[in-house]
Order: sequence, then C-alpha cells, then structure tokens
Amino acid sequence: MLKSRLDYNLKIRLPITAFVIVVTYIITFFVAKPERDNVGYQPDQPIPFSHKLHAGEMQIDCQYCHTGVEKGRHASVPPVSTCMNCHSVARKDKPAIVNLTKYFNTNTPLPWKRIHKVPDYAYFNHSVHVNKGISCQSCHGNVENMDKVSQVQKFTMGACLDCHRNAHEKLPELKGVINKGPDYCGACHR
Amino acid sequence: MSLETFWKSPNELKFPVLSQEAKEKEFVDGVTEEFNPDELKGLSRRKFLALTAATLAVSTAACTDYHDKGEIIPYNKKPENIIPGIPNYYASTCTGCSNHCGILIKTREGRPIKIDGNPDDPINKGKICAIGQASILNLYDPERYKKPMKRNGNKFNEIKWQEAFNELISKVKLANNNGSEIAIIVGNIKSPSQKRLLELFTQKYATTKIYSYDLMADYPRQLAWQACYGSSEPATINFENAKIILALESNFLGNEGNFVKNIAGFTKKRNVDNPDSFSRLYAVEGAMSLSGVNADIRIPLNPTKHLDLVLSIIAEVLKSRGITNGLVYEKVQNYSLAEFAKQNNLDIKQLKSLVKDLVQNQGSAIAIAGDKMPFELHIAVNILNGLIGANSNNSENNLLTENNSNQIPLSTKDYLLELKQKMQSGKIAVLINFDTNPAYDLSTLDFDNLMQKIPYSVTLTETETETALSSNYILPINHNYESWGDYQVSNDIITTQQPVIESLYGTYQKEDILLGLINDKLSKTAYRDFIKDTWVSQIYPQSNSGVEFEVFWKSVLHDGVYKLNTSKTPLRPIDYNAINLIKSSVSKSNYILSLKNSYSTANGRFQNNGWLLELPHPTSKITWDNYAVVSERTAQKLGVDSNKMIEINANGKKLEIPVFVQPGTVDDYFTIELGFGRRAAGTVGKEVGFDALQLTTIDQLFNGYLMSVEISSMPNKEYKLASTVEHHSLNDNFTKDLAKKRHIIQDGTLSEYVQGNYNPERSHLTDSIIPEIEYKGVKWAMAIDMNKCVGCNACVVACNVENNIPIIGKDQVARGREMHWIRIDTYYTGDQDNPEVANQPMLCQHCDKAPCENVCPVVATTHSPDGINQMVYNRCVGTRYCSNNCPYKVRRFNFYDYRDNFNNHFQKADSLALMMNPEVTVRSRGVMEKCTFCIQRVSEARASAIAQGREVRGTDVKTACQEACPASAITFGSSNEPESELYYWRNHKLGYHVLEELNVKPNVTYIAKLRNKAEVK
Repeated sequence: MLKSRLDYNLKIRLPITAFVIVVTYIITFFVAKPERDNVGYQPDQPIPFSHKLHAGEMQIDCQYCHTGVEKGRHASVPPVSTCMNCHSVARKDKPAIVNLTKYFNTNTPLPWKRIHKVPDYAYFNHSVHVNKGISCQSCHGNVENMDKVSQVQKFTMGACLDCHRNAHEKLPELKGVINKGPDYCGACHR
Repeated sequence: MSLETFWKSPNELKFPVLSQEAKEKEFVDGVTEEFNPDELKGLSRRKFLALTAATLAVSTAACTDYHDKGEIIPYNKKPENIIPGIPNYYASTCTGCSNHCGILIKTREGRPIKIDGNPDDPINKGKICAIGQASILNLYDPERYKKPMKRNGNKFNEIKWQEAFNELISKVKLANNNGSEIAIIVGNIKSPSQKRLLELFTQKYATTKIYSYDLMADYPRQLAWQACYGSSEPATINFENAKIILALESNFLGNEGNFVKNIAGFTKKRNVDNPDSFSRLYAVEGAMSLSGVNADIRIPLNPTKHLDLVLSIIAEVLKSRGITNGLVYEKVQNYSLAEFAKQNNLDIKQLKSLVKDLVQNQGSAIAIAGDKMPFELHIAVNILNGLIGANSNNSENNLLTENNSNQIPLSTKDYLLELKQKMQSGKIAVLINFDTNPAYDLSTLDFDNLMQKIPYSVTLTETETETALSSNYILPINHNYESWGDYQVSNDIITTQQPVIESLYGTYQKEDILLGLINDKLSKTAYRDFIKDTWVSQIYPQSNSGVEFEVFWKSVLHDGVYKLNTSKTPLRPIDYNAINLIKSSVSKSNYILSLKNSYSTANGRFQNNGWLLELPHPTSKITWDNYAVVSERTAQKLGVDSNKMIEINANGKKLEIPVFVQPGTVDDYFTIELGFGRRAAGTVGKEVGFDALQLTTIDQLFNGYLMSVEISSMPNKEYKLASTVEHHSLNDNFTKDLAKKRHIIQDGTLSEYVQGNYNPERSHLTDSIIPEIEYKGVKWAMAIDMNKCVGCNACVVACNVENNIPIIGKDQVARGREMHWIRIDTYYTGDQDNPEVANQPMLCQHCDKAPCENVCPVVATTHSPDGINQMVYNRCVGTRYCSNNCPYKVRRFNFYDYRDNFNNHFQKADSLALMMNPEVTVRSRGVMEKCTFCIQRVSEARASAIAQGREVRGTDVKTACQEACPASAITFGSSNEPESELYYWRNHKLGYHVLEELNVKPNVTYIAKLRNKAEVK
C-alpha cells in the first residue's frame, strides 16, 4: 500500500505541485513587477509633510529645500532648520508642526523614510541631470500633486539606460538641447 | 571445459540452486523494507531537508517590508558651508615630523578623507610625503586611547577626565611647592605658541625643566654647523640651484631633512627640455639609497672611508687652484686623490671628473653628507662646500639659506644624561611626556626602568606607546586634524594648523592640558585662544596689516601659511678653523654597521599604520619589516642569504635580524633602518621588524650611527621577509638585463640625447585583428617622466587613500596578493656591485586594445568612449582571466574581504568606515580591481563642466598620484588636445610605451631616462 502511495505522489502530486508553483511564479513575476521595482512605494513619514501643499499650491520651488541638487550628487533632504524658516511663525499650533518644532529644539535627527534609492554601486549625480535641464518630474513624477510621496518610476539600470539611449523620445521637450546620455559602465559604476 | 564450470564464488559451485535465487533478487532482504521518516531516530537527511524548506518558507513569508530603504537623516541645523556630496578643503599643517609641511585637508560631510600639500606653502609647494598622506589612518585608528587611564598594578583603569586632571594638577603643584623637579619631555619644538606655552609653564611652575630630543634630527650636522658657522641650525639647501651634487651616504631624496622640498628642487633640474641646466648627481655610498638609485654616477664606497675621500677631494681642489699654504692645506696636504683611488679600487678618472665638476661649477655645486654620518665628515663637507662656493651669498640663486626656525634648541647630550641621572636619584617628582616616546626612542638611556623611579609620570599620547605603558597615567590627546597650532618652518614662513573635525573621542589637545595646568582649568578652546594671543602680541603688530585682527587671523587660517616681514639674513661666513676638529681615526673592525632613517615609519611613530608598513621599500620592495642589508659577497662569506638570520654585536649589545642581499652594497657593510621593532604600538605595529636602537649608545644619537660590529651568522634560522617583487639574480643569464632587452626601461645619456644620437626604441605596429576605434572628445592618457620619478612612494599612498585600498598584512603580501593599484618597479641592470637602477611607476595602462577586456566572460571590464578601461565590480565574478591576460600585471584580486579582521592587520571598525572615500566603491571578496585613472575625479570634472555649460577638458582632472607626486613626474590629460601638456609629452622624442610590440596601444607614455654621465677622458 505504501508503495502505491509513493507512486501516486511521484506521478500525480509532484507534477501538479510543480506546475502550480511555476505558474504562480510566472504570474506573480509579471503582476508584481512594479511592486518589486518599488513603483508605488509610499511609506508613512515621521512628519506628514505634503509636497502637494508646499510645492503645488504654494508653488515653493523644489530647490528652496533641495538645495544640493544642482551642485552635487545629492539633491539632499533639507535640514529641519529650513522648515523652521517659515514654521517658526507659520501654523505653529498644528500638531505636526509642534512635533517638528520639538525635533528642532531638542536637536533630534528627523528620520525621513527613504523612497528613492539607486544601489550603492551606482553613482547617480543629480547635478548633471538638473543642469542639463531635465526636470525633477522626469524621474520623481509629479511630486507637486502628491500629498504623500510615492515612487513613480522604476529605478533600475534598464530604466536609466532606456532614457539615456532614447533621450529625445523620452524627453521631447529637450530635443536639440541634450544629446543621448552616456551608456558606458564607467558613467555610473566606479 | 564447459561453460557451467565457470563460477564466481565457491558457494556458486557448491549450491547452484540457492545461488540462482540470490541472483534473481536484486536487493537483499531488508534493504527495500518500507519505512516512515517520522519513525527515524535523530535528524535524518530527509528530516533535515524538510526543516530547511520549512524554515525558508517561513522566513520568506515572515520577512519584514522588503521595500524599506532605510532612512535619510538630514542635519537638524546644517552647518553653513557643508553641502552633502561636495568636499570642503581646509588649510592646516602636518605634524608628522618637524618639517611641518602645509597641508590641504579634504573633508566630506565634516570628516577628513584625504590629505594633500597646501599649494600656497612656498616650501613644500602643494606636495607632501607618503607618511603625511597616510597619517589620516592614525586619526581613525580604532586603537586610539579614548579615556584617561590610571595605572593599577600592571593594568590601567579608565578614569574621568576631571579626576585625571585634578590629580595631575595637585601633583604638579605639590612638586613645585616642594622644590622638586617637573620634567617635560618634548620633541622638536618649532611652534612659537608652543614655545610661549612652555615658557609660561616654566614661569608658573619654577621647578620645571624642558627636555627636547628628536630621533630623526641631524645632530651631527647641527654640531658641525655650529663649529663652522656658529649657528646651531644648518642652512636649508636649495637643490633647485644645484648643478652638481655630491651626496655622501646621504638620502636627501628619500628620508632625510625636508625631502619633499629636496625632491621638488632636485627634479626641477632634471628637465629633458632644458639640457643645459641638467644637474649631475654623484652618489658615494655604501648601501643603495634613493640618492644612489637616482644618481648619474654612483660610487660604492664604505662610509668609513668617506672622510678620507672628502679630504682627498679638498686636497685636489686646492691643488687645482695652486694653493699651497693655509690652514686647510696643512690639514689635507698628505691626502692625494690618486692614492685614495688606488687604495680603494676606485676609478680615478671618475673622481677627477667629480673634482673638475665641483671646481668648475663654483657656486652651483654642493656636497651633502648623510644625517646619521659622523660629525667629522660633516665638518669636512662644510669645508669643501666653503671652498667650492656653495655658501656664497652673492646670487639670487643661493644654494644655502640661513635657517633659524627652531623655537627651543634640542637638548644636548649632557643635558639628557643629567635627566637620566636625576631620574635615577629620584629627583624628578613629575614627568610629563609631551607626545613623545622616550622609552623607545631613548632606550639607550634605559628609560623604561628609569620611569619606574618617578613617583608621578604622565604620558600625553594618541595611541599605545612603550612610554605610555610605563607611566602612571595616560592622557589621550587629539590627533593632528583635531588640533590647533602654528609652526615656524623657515626664517620667514609660519604655517597654521586648524582642526577639521571635532575630537572623535572627546580628548583634549596636548597643549590644552598644559594650559589647563597653568589656568587651573581644563578647556577645549584654551589653546586656540592662546595661539590667537600669541599672534595678537607677536605677529600681528609686525604685519602692518590694515585690517583688524579677527579679519587678519581668519585670512591667515584660510591660507594656512603666513609670510613674516623679515629681511633676508645672509649666511654667516665659514670658519675654516673647524677643520682642526677632524681627527683621523682608522677603523680596524671587519664589519661596519650604519643605522638609517626609515622610509615608511619615521621614528617608529607611524608603526600602527598598516598603509605605511605595507609600503614596499623603495630599493628592496620589502614590506612589514626591516632587515640588515648586505652585499652578496659578504653574505656568502658569512654563509647566509636573504631571509636568514644573523646576530649583530655592537657596543656590547646584541640583535638578531634577518639579512637581505641588496645589489649595490659594499662588502663588509651593513645597514639597518630605525623605527621598527616597537614593543608596544597597537595590534598592527607591535613587534613588526627589529629595533636596531638597542645596539646604540647615547653618544651615537649625537655623533651618527656608524659603528664597528661583530657578526655571527645563524644560517639555520630562517625568517621570511615579504617582498612585492620576485628578485632575479643579476648573475642569471636568462633574466639579466631583461628590462632593458625588452625595452621596458629605456635610458640613454644626456650627451647622446643633446647630440641627437639617442631615441628610445619604438615599435610602430599598425596591423591588428581588432578594429581601430576613433576617440572623439577627450581621451584620457598619462605621461610619466622617468627623469623625474625618484621612487619616493608618495603616489602609492595617495592612491591607497583616494581609492580605499585595503591593507592585507604580511602573510598575504608574501603570497603576492598586494592590492596597490600603482607600484614603483625598480629595475637593476648590470653589475651586482654597482648596478644601474631605474624606477618605473607601473599602473593600469588603459590600453586601447586591452587584452583583459577580450577575455572577461561576463563583460565586467570594458572600454569607455573616453579611453578608460573600466572595471565594474558588481559584474565581476572573479575568474581572474583578465589578470592572467594583462601584460603589465596591474590587476589586483580581492582574495578575501580584507576589511574584515584579517590577521589583525586591518581592523574592521566603525571609525575606519569614516575614512573611506565615499566616491569610490569599497570592494568585497572575489572581485578584481585596478587603477581607474581616478574615474571618480573624471566624473566630478564632467559634472562641474556640465554645471558651467561646457565640455570637459583634459586639464580639468588631476589624478591622486599626479597631485601627490613631489617631483611632478606625472602628467594627466586628454591626448586629443594638441595644446595640452599631456599631448606634448605623449609625442615627445623621448616618449615610449612599455611592451609596445604587443600592440595593445597603452595610454601611459614613459619619458626615457637620461643619465647625465660625465665625459671621462
């Protein structure tokens, strides 16, 4: 009896299980691809800062806060003191601002959740892109419409190269202004 | 015989039926029995697999948010000048030795990551030595003392700063009130503020005595200078004005004096485009030094004969001028150059041409003797220099410049002996070691044991030292880059030092502690304010500066150097009477030993710095050790060879040390480098090498380390020295002169070149199976002038620091796994006794048709459109095919994750992570790496060119090695820019590529070496 059970397991159950696993894997692979590429990743932030309010409605320039973006590699998240430029006066009573002020006054680091990340072995430089006239939205999406920022584009090597190789199709507004982006290894990997 | 009669076993023959049954049954009974895995005992294979699968499934399902990318933590209040990702530079001063070179510290997000020379410093002109470059590792050294320590028996307990300070001040006050001595042992003090501080301290505590010594100092030269010129500080030599240089066992290009300045000056006169002013270096020496390596004419001569040689030269000089009377003549009248040459088997023609050169180049010829050579030789050299006009004050191009920069004179021998005596008799109540290590440096005074007699001894130090371990208290102090300071480096230049990082462990700088004793209060800003006071009272009033002090002070700090308004003091006239101090003494001993400065660890202070210990020695390429250098004949005579031990007996003391056979060493002569064999220096540096100071006496500190020794060989005792090159015997016919035969090293003589008779061998192959690629825009390339490269190793360390190159330890070096991206190949050709030497920095040649690229199975190494051979670490799988196929052997493989705690040679510590250059990937185990032409700097230049809206230019980038090279031998740029300097050198008549016949089209051009040989008639 046991012998026949082993037979059954090997001939029927194993292929079915294997088939189910493969099919599930294939379906999940494609359906969850944006998920795996982190597209749509929208974490909660320690301070519910709204880009929609600040950058959209009030039209504060991106570079008022992200000051490093045209100077160096990092766009840089603003220091708390930048927030306090206005919020030492404005909306002081709101709970989030009270919280923010506490961070500032106690000199506690404010741990923003990171949303966009290229791997450590790729050296992305904000300044070369911004100084060539490529808008922040090209990679980060329309942040000025987001209450809570989420990732819009893939941050994979394929996504980078797609734009670098087809710059004019991807960024039609910069046709004639920019050439193709570099696509040799050393441009990013060193 | 029928078939049935074949049987396999006796059973088959006896019981054919049973046997037939067994044959039909494939498995023996019991083997195929069904069983349930759950009933099996213990952890069966099946159970194990089931558990593993379950664990995997559970852990995958229970995995935390895989989207999580960590946090970005901005500054709360951002410091004004810091932009993340953009480096800041601060001018400061290196305190590694008493040369006090001006430095520029590169900081990223507030942490120092790279040190270079300060271009505004008129003395070192933007360059520093290998030690200065590597000293950044000492800042982040995980073994730095972090808390004050108090002795408790044989152990030390951590105590609070306030407690330590309170005890110190009470002891100091008590000693002062009792009238017992407070001894402060300091190094070579060149700082006006330190001088004022010590003066103030002596005023407040009247029983204080200051003792000052410097193991690296040129005591014999100072004494000789005093005798000849009446000033204790020898003049600075300006080698840029010297056409003829006679170096007598002097390593002025390697590790003596301000060698960075010397290299720059010397190589200024080695410009192939200016053959008229090409200098000629005669090196007379017993063992191969960097002067000998770079000499045009090298004369091997036992240093005990150098005095006679100089006196004979003086006699010859006088003879050539027809002088037959006077003080000097009387002294040297019995000497004859011809006789001397005959006695010592020297070429008289060579010596005659030397004298001719010295005489004919009156005012631009100079002789220099080694720092550790005897006093009498220095006197003779001073006299010779006087006769050939090296001390003339007439021209703008003075060879010698008066120097009075010392603030506190070094203690005399008697003064140090007095200290010993007082320590012995218990007259010293408090001993303060002011960042000095006398227990090692002055071990000849038996300092270790003397310290036990001091009731209260305190050592101010950064890391473990022998002195610290024998004191009662250890007070940790700030590193150079955490401290304030000012240093007088010449008669009219003061460099300033400013901290670029908050002290990592909350330590105080050593001056703050003394100031605390003066002010009764410990403060971290005390010395800063004190320096400002010095400048307000002493320097600012003389500056005639129209601005107020704060503005003046800020601008001085910004520049890092300040030029005093002092008029140039002319050199004093020489007193020829000094020649009477020379007493000829002929050494009768068989063997002579000479101790030299170390190239890499200074006076042993940098012993815990793995980068420096792993630096290949300039002539032997040995790492992690010192050794006794001998000639091959002497080794044979003693029955030893390299890697065998000998026992040296000198001054009644013994030392066992391995031997290294170095071509170019004279017979019966041994040299050992100082600064090794520290008994306590931290995990990395402890007991690395051998402490030759053990053999010396206190007399020798002041009169040079040249001594008679007894040698006994220990041919059965093996000690493996780790060298980075395979040493081929110069007598092997197969390898002899290979570098020249294959045109790796190409050299000619200056006169041939001037006459147009010398061109390097080139091979201009055109056919290739690989199609030509056309490079548009910039194409990076490098040119290295072998006339200028002296082999000082500054580039190697600069590359290490810039590119996060790991330290791997002696064991790994011995296996040939060193990781340096640039190495200095030293080629010896010709005669074993007096070989010709050439240095060649070798790095990735970034070949247009790179052989490494073709063989990579995963396309991890490719070529960029701007001509760089790229290496993509995250793609590399470590087949090492590329390294195998590289003709230049410049690719390096990470056999381990060398940042792990690897044989304790490189501690994995958080503090060391702060040191890494964030622009360069830290490589892990199993990947190949190599020189990238500093691609991070290329990318940076591209980014700033884009910001300025222009194309990148070849002149925008300086590689780390180029920036560091004191000789300016390296040029980097674009070979597509005909007006650039790189293009000029790349197409120079003397330019060639190494192994050009392979047609790999390398992008590093070497400028053939010209030797300025004298025409011997």
